[in-house]
Amino acid sequence: MAELKIVGTSVSRKDAVEKVTGMAEFIEDRYMGPMLYAKMKKSTVAHGKIKSIDTTRALKHPGVKAVLTGKDYPNLIGLYLIDRSFLAVEKVRFWGEPVAVVAATTEKAAAEAVELIEVEYEELPGVFDPREGMKPDAPLIHEDLANYEIVPIFYPKAGTNIANHFKIRKGDINKGFEEADLIIERDYYVPQMQHVPIETHKAAVQWSPDGKLTVWSTAQSPNVVRQLLSKSLDIPMHKIRVISSYIGGGFGCKAGASIEGLLVPIAQKFPGHIVRIVFTREEDMQGTFTRQALYSKLKTGVRKDRRITSLQYKMIWDGGAYTEYGVNIVRAAGYSSTGAYDIPNVKTDSYCVYTNNSIGGPVRGFGMCEMQWGIERQLEVIARELDMDPLEVRLINGMKKGSSTASGQVVHDLDYDKCLKVVADKIGWGKKESNRNGKYRGKGIAGLVKCPAQPSNAASSAIIRINEDGTAHVMIGATEMGQGMLTAISQIAAETLHIPVDKIDIKVPDTDFTPYEWQSVGSRITYTCGTSVKRAAEDALGQIYRVAADLLETPEEDLSFDGKNIFSTNNSDKKATIREVADSCKKCTGEGIAGPIIGRGSFVPTNMTNLDPETGQGNPGLFYCFGATGVEVEVDPETGVVTVLQLACSIDAGKAVNPQLCTAQLHGGTIMGLSTALYEEVCFDKGIMLNRNFTDYKIATIDNTPHMDSFIIETPETHGPYGARGIGEQPMIGVAPAIANAVCNALGVEFNTFPLTPERVWQAVKDKK
Amino acid sequence: MLSYDYIKCADLNLAFQELEEGEQVYPLAGGTDLIVGMRGGKFAAKTLIDIKDVPELNVLKEDDQGITIGAAITLNEVTGFTPVRENVPILAEGCHSVGSYSIRNRATIAGNICNASPAADTAAPLYALDAVINIAGSGGNRSIPIKEFFIGPGKTALNKGELVQSVLIRKPYPKGKGIYLKASRTGSVDLATVGVAVQRWGDQVKIAIGAVAATPVRAFSVEKAVNEAGEKRWADAARLVHEDISPITDLRGSREYRYHMVEVLVRRGLEQTMGV
Amino acid sequence: MTEKMPVNFTVNGDKEEREAVVGQTLLKFIRDELHLTGAKEGCEIGECGACIVLLDGKPVNSCLILAVELDGKDLVTIEGLSKNGELDRVQKAFIKHAAFQCGYCTPGMILSARALLERKPNPTDEDINQALSGNLCRCGAYQEIREAIKASSEK
Ligand SMILES: Cc1cc2nc3c(=O)[nH]c(=O)nc-3n(C[C@H](O)[C@H](O)[C@H](O)COP(=O)(O)OP(=O)(O)OC[C@H]3O[C@@H](n4cnc5c(N)ncnc54)[C@H](O)[C@@H]3O)c2cc1C
Ligand code: FES
Ligand code: FES
Repeated sequence: MAELKIVGTSVSRKDAVEKVTGMAEFIEDRYMGPMLYAKMKKSTVAHGKIKSIDTTRALKHPGVKAVLTGKDYPNLIGLYLIDRSFLAVEKVRFWGEPVAVVAATTEKAAAEAVELIEVEYEELPGVFDPREGMKPDAPLIHEDLANYEIVPIFYPKAGTNIANHFKIRKGDINKGFEEADLIIERDYYVPQMQHVPIETHKAAVQWSPDGKLTVWSTAQSPNVVRQLLSKSLDIPMHKIRVISSYIGGGFGCKAGASIEGLLVPIAQKFPGHIVRIVFTREEDMQGTFTRQALYSKLKTGVRKDRRITSLQYKMIWDGGAYTEYGVNIVRAAGYSSTGAYDIPNVKTDSYCVYTNNSIGGPVRGFGMCEMQWGIERQLEVIARELDMDPLEVRLINGMKKGSSTASGQVVHDLDYDKCLKVVADKIGWGKKESNRNGKYRGKGIAGLVKCPAQPSNAASSAIIRINEDGTAHVMIGATEMGQGMLTAISQIAAETLHIPVDKIDIKVPDTDFTPYEWQSVGSRITYTCGTSVKRAAEDALGQIYRVAADLLETPEEDLSFDGKNIFSTNNSDKKATIREVADSCKKCTGEGIAGPIIGRGSFVPTNMTNLDPETGQGNPGLFYCFGATGVEVEVDPETGVVTVLQLACSIDAGKAVNPQLCTAQLHGGTIMGLSTALYEEVCFDKGIMLNRNFTDYKIATIDNTPHMDSFIIETPETHGPYGARGIGEQPMIGVAPAIANAVCNALGVEFNTFPLTPERVWQAVKDKK
Repeated sequence: MLSYDYIKCADLNLAFQELEEGEQVYPLAGGTDLIVGMRGGKFAAKTLIDIKDVPELNVLKEDDQGITIGAAITLNEVTGFTPVRENVPILAEGCHSVGSYSIRNRATIAGNICNASPAADTAAPLYALDAVINIAGSGGNRSIPIKEFFIGPGKTALNKGELVQSVLIRKPYPKGKGIYLKASRTGSVDLATVGVAVQRWGDQVKIAIGAVAATPVRAFSVEKAVNEAGEKRWADAARLVHEDISPITDLRGSREYRYHMVEVLVRRGLEQTMGV
Repeated sequence: MTEKMPVNFTVNGDKEEREAVVGQTLLKFIRDELHLTGAKEGCEIGECGACIVLLDGKPVNSCLILAVELDGKDLVTIEGLSKNGELDRVQKAFIKHAAFQCGYCTPGMILSARALLERKPNPTDEDINQALSGNLCRCGAYQEIREAIKASSEK
């Protein structure tokens, strides 16, 4: 590969100046014209029949323009499993589910009117634990499951609460256990957490009299919003325009589509008005995706030579009231269920179960944090039982070039050993620090792996317009929610076009103008959108050469482009500026050559396959990204307070397009992981979310942030743009198990769940005594 | 948006009048409890009287009596006040442990105790310092000890028409070290799971605890053992604290954990103030 | 009930005479009336710091202040930090150190940092942690933020 000039450098963020000056536009910052403000009436029971909804008083309230209930608007929506209505119809399935929406001329009037709506429920027995929900006599939450439309890679069980049962059958599980000298069995539990981006969910919708729907949304994917609305509302795609602003953090909760559709029927009644909804923090926490809780059981067989021979993994996921998206997390966790390890015999059953808790959905890691918690904790138990070094267990069983995943996909581009070793070295692995002042020290390590969980045909595309002066506009459909996509993508375009990054303009998407992108999720954009952009740039460059060849009357092969001039490598007099090429007229004759240069590129994976329904074998991974986390803690056994002394993280980025931003992702993901490891857990009481604000649900502050050491490893991704692969979610995955492993190491206890709150740690110490 | 009247008050008598005559009238100091509470429906205020400009409430001084902290003085001002730092650092610690820096730029001690949360972080230090609450009202002024001020969760000894004018830390100041030990889930901006104030007074000690009963409480059993029976085994003394408290289980911690933590923090407090 | 009250104040150096609706928070007033949308709403209960502005030079949570309380005060928002198109050194340092990702917490974060540097021109890590613990950043840019603030203090 030619030497890279732009990819691999830490240029400043494209959005930097806007963001530090307060000029960056988020959706609520738009002044949008005549407005109607929407507010939701939410259910007060977790599972119940709606006996009646009386909206008469609300409708009479001054300022109120419209009140909508599920009866008026029973349309269904969903990404993978179409099981969800915008408003509850006949029945509510979780506490806080919207049952009606009011639109009024002021926010205040809308809020007041909501209070005037009277809803009568007949409460039904609820399901709050998916293990109970799987039982044959459990109350049914979706009676109509059999009739829901579904992408045919998911396997719901009609007449039950099981929305998906994903299976892996690899090798011979029994033989694996027979070969084992030691069999370890443990139960694990991962509670729900919330993403809590500092910007809550927001959407605004406008209907124009000519039948065009414009949607502004905090959604991570404008194209999916368009696609799902089009299908749900039967509006052709060219009549729907979805506009993205900057997004104040996503982390998965803004994937798919949900709230936009609430507003459409109201907008249709008041053409020209903009109907806007802004979720309060409480609504955001309780009414949008939570991370699904996971109850799991692992049984691992190990030989004396420390090789793991078999793994049986049973996962029961709390899908919540709707699993339109969650079914795929369950699938992803299933096909990755050996984590970063090469295990020959695997039997996995991953169940997505409806409950009457808040809706489960994607969160940074897409099931990997939850699933690999069990894997990485189990390895620790194995190491202890075999009296061997936990790092060595990982190195011996860790994936290497040519290893195969749970689904039998062979991995090629990795150096997992290195990921583990750098963090181990950094924290002084093997050196036991002495306990001081009654506090215990411990070290822990955990590995991680993740591939994007995307359908095998999830596509990307890009358009590059070359201006007359040689500057360029890069048009893509990916969203900027902090990950630095605009910058990385610009760098890929600049590198390919041989022009400086500051000659590139790039913006957040608008489906009327920017080309298709499936979703900005799954750490896939650098790879997928990056590939499209690279192809578009190559296409544009090809055109530039073709025009220049004509203009300079020189064969294309003899031409070279240095970012300013296209010149003949044989005759330096023969040159044209990019501007001349862009104008593309033969100088002396005035005869036209070609019109403006527009490069196009698109991408769809070619290395992925569907999975066998019975064995789960196949290639679900576009690429696999490995990494590791190493931690040293100090624990106060009396109070249970865990202090993280050292925190090291590594990620194999393939090629860090922008090392500074790559490091920022590493740090950000690691802090989110630390926050979930120590503090975060959504608490429910019969479906009622108890901690739904920042007073009760605590996330890490700067004060809780130890110094982090980060390592970017670069094992090129063969088919990634300039060798790059995505890394956005991964850094979070190893943190909770690494911290827990360190605390276990310090105290000699076991943790099967987190967060490791002071009280939980104290309890463990007490139970040990 | 909520609707109510707002009166900016520069005259104490005007405030008394409003408080006396109006229904659902609330003094507004920093607003860090009041505005949050109104948003959440905890308070249904009809009138807010902004008392921050009342001169009598803007007093922060040290004189023969001691340190007077007016009701409009912010927590950051208290923490930064040299006589507080030098003579009663335990109070500075309590104030500093409230919320975040920006919250403390608005929040007041008076607001903290008038909100009457058992977990109020300035309360335990004030109990351990035997602070006096100066109350003013149309019916005249009165002063009561802090332990009579708290009556129950959200309930104070204020009568209708009264407000807190200031908090007084009387001289003589305690001789000896005092510390406020706060346990919380994150150790950062968070409410107290329990808060323990231990203040040495010469060879005596006063201990007060927050978030373990309907009001902050004094650990009289421990104090008695140390001060009267001369108990020097701090662990044994600390164990007695169970008799003084009756914590509940909530999102921040279980009853059992609270019992345990109070004992640990009382012991540590004794060690650090009374010597190991 | 008095619906509106006059408020006289300065905002980013300019004198303003306006009317504020009683019951409106300062945050809403700044965004909806002054159209300064840099200040953000993240919780409305003082916990996230996205709404932090400088009032008489001090960082405060504008979601917990009433618009009518602005009377007689000096308000600085993120929009007022750069002078004549020249970014403040904290802003520059935030860019240099990539001290933000989504940028939603950034206005509040920068104003808290600015006020800290006024109080303590050479803050330690601990000073920074104390001063910014009321500014949540879910993107987790905290380490970069510490670096940026320290870099802007050295000058
Ligand atoms: C993000 C956040 C974090 C917090 N963290 C903590 C914490 O860690 N620890 C803690 O203890 N508290 C905490 N608090 C609560 C709050 O900040 C304190 O209780 C604060 O001291 C209240 O003071 P204030 O001036 O803001 O009171 P206000 O909100 O103005 O008033 C509180 C109550 O007291 C009444 N009142 C105020 N002044 C008087 C007076 N002079 N006479 C009579 N009544 C009066 C008001 O009418 C109201 O009912 C937190 C709050 C927030 C928003
Ligand atoms: S919106 Fe004011 S602190 Fe969160
Ligand atoms: S940069 Fe996203 S919240 Fe701080």
